[in-house]
Amino acid sequence: MYTLSEQQIDFILNDIKSRGVVIEDLQLNLLDHICCIVENELNLDDDFDQFYQDIITRFFKMELKEIEEETILLLTFKNYYTMKKIMVISGIFSVATFLLGSFLKFMHLPGASVFLFLGIMTLSLIFLPLMFVLKIKDVNTKREKVVAGVGTLAGMLVSISVLFKVMHWPFANVLGVCALFVFVLIFIPLYFFSGVRNPDTKLNTIVSTILFVGAAGLLFTLIDTRPAYHQTEVKMYAYLESEDLLKRLQSMPGKAPASNTQQQLIISKMNDAAEQIKSLILIRTTGKSKVAHDFENEDIFLEERNLGPAFEEGQNGALLYGQFKNSIEEYNLLNGKSNALKIPTDHFEEGKIVLYNNFVVLDYITKTQMYVATIESSVTGMK
Amino acid sequence: MYSSELIKGTLKTIVLKLLSQTNQMYGYEITQKVKELTSDRIQITEGALYPTLHALEKEGFVTTEIVNIGKRVRKYYTLTPKGKLKATEKVNEFAEFIDTMKFMLDIKHQIS
Repeated sequence: MYTLSEQQIDFILNDIKSRGVVIEDLQLNLLDHICCIVENELNLDDDFDQFYQDIITRFFKMELKEIEEETILLLTFKNYYTMKKIMVISGIFSVATFLLGSFLKFMHLPGASVFLFLGIMTLSLIFLPLMFVLKIKDVNTKREKVVAGVGTLAGMLVSISVLFKVMHWPFANVLGVCALFVFVLIFIPLYFFSGVRNPDTKLNTIVSTILFVGAAGLLFTLIDTRPAYHQTEVKMYAYLESEDLLKRLQSMPGKAPASNTQQQLIISKMNDAAEQIKSLILIRTTGKSKVAHDFENEDIFLEERNLGPAFEEGQNGALLYGQFKNSIEEYNLLNGKSNALKIPTDHFEEGKIVLYNNFVVLDYITKTQMYVATIESSVTGMK
Repeated sequence: MYSSELIKGTLKTIVLKLLSQTNQMYGYEITQKVKELTSDRIQITEGALYPTLHALEKEGFVTTEIVNIGKRVRKYYTLTPKGKLKATEKVNEFAEFIDTMKFMLDIKHQIS
């Protein structure tokens, strides 16, 4: 059996490295393998160098680097396959959740936000980045890679800004403008000039560019939605005005004798429930339980939406609304000899208060309180 | 000796099966063992063996142990429990494949 000297081992290792094998694991494997061949197949009096040059050719067709390339291919092929699979699955998932979310939103059904959020997030944070990673493997020039990168970034920004817009989150407009900026001023020119030079892609590029500009224009008209922004402010001011008026009415001396404790009890029960309901709605709408007239100066963001989880069946808000309704019915029983004076309590579908618009419910509660306060006041009420 | 195309498709199966029969093996040993078992009819090339071993390691079917042999090191490969399952699965798959090919290529008919 031939025994290799340390120099010979170093020589083999250096030769493996110089032939372009970089992965250390592979270097060591090959080194041991070659040493084994030499030890087992070389006779003591044979020439090592000659033998080495002969056997090293067994390892490849053209050059030794092939082994490394094959290894990398095998190691990344699986990733590539998985990524492709995840891309397709996430794409289908995001389209499905997005469609479902849009449908729910259109029908004003609960769960719309959750599905829209999931759909758009999957699209922008999983599908688009994966598509980019897989795409740059197919394109050759640096320019095409940059176009793909900027396009992906623009797509992510646009979809996330739409999500912010739909969810009425702050900075939606800032994001939207940034997204459009990247899309219109960076991506479209890059895309256009890199594609229009090539006669093969010229027509396609022009048509796609027109579509992109059209889409960006449509999006831009959507982003400028200041009137809608003002509408919620206006509704909030209207509510605050009613609230002021209510406080003034309630502070007037009552017409009922203080001894009529049953009446007083019902009214205070109703007002208690009303105040708690209003603060729950205000928390959902603004994040605070009390809102003052100068709310625009504070860092408050108004949301017009449904009443939220606190008003789901069996939850605190729904129970409070039940109390409010009951006390009005008691009040009606006690006072409503004529139908005209009865306070209606069938505004909201039984058990579905959660689905109603926050400003509508605020308005209803406040106005009902005002109505009662007006009747009960010795100044404005009927004798 | 069989064509490299035939061997390429079955190399993973061969390596997994060999490892499932022994405690641990290193690269050269695997090539020699295959040669010996098949009376030189199957000769695994190094160019195909090592990429496959690396892929098996990455996929978690084998674990490795590095042993110093004088100035150089030797990497021993051992099947993981997951690898053992994979070995059985691959062998079964190949057995079915042979049956299918026999039928498809009408080999029995040719022999008779």
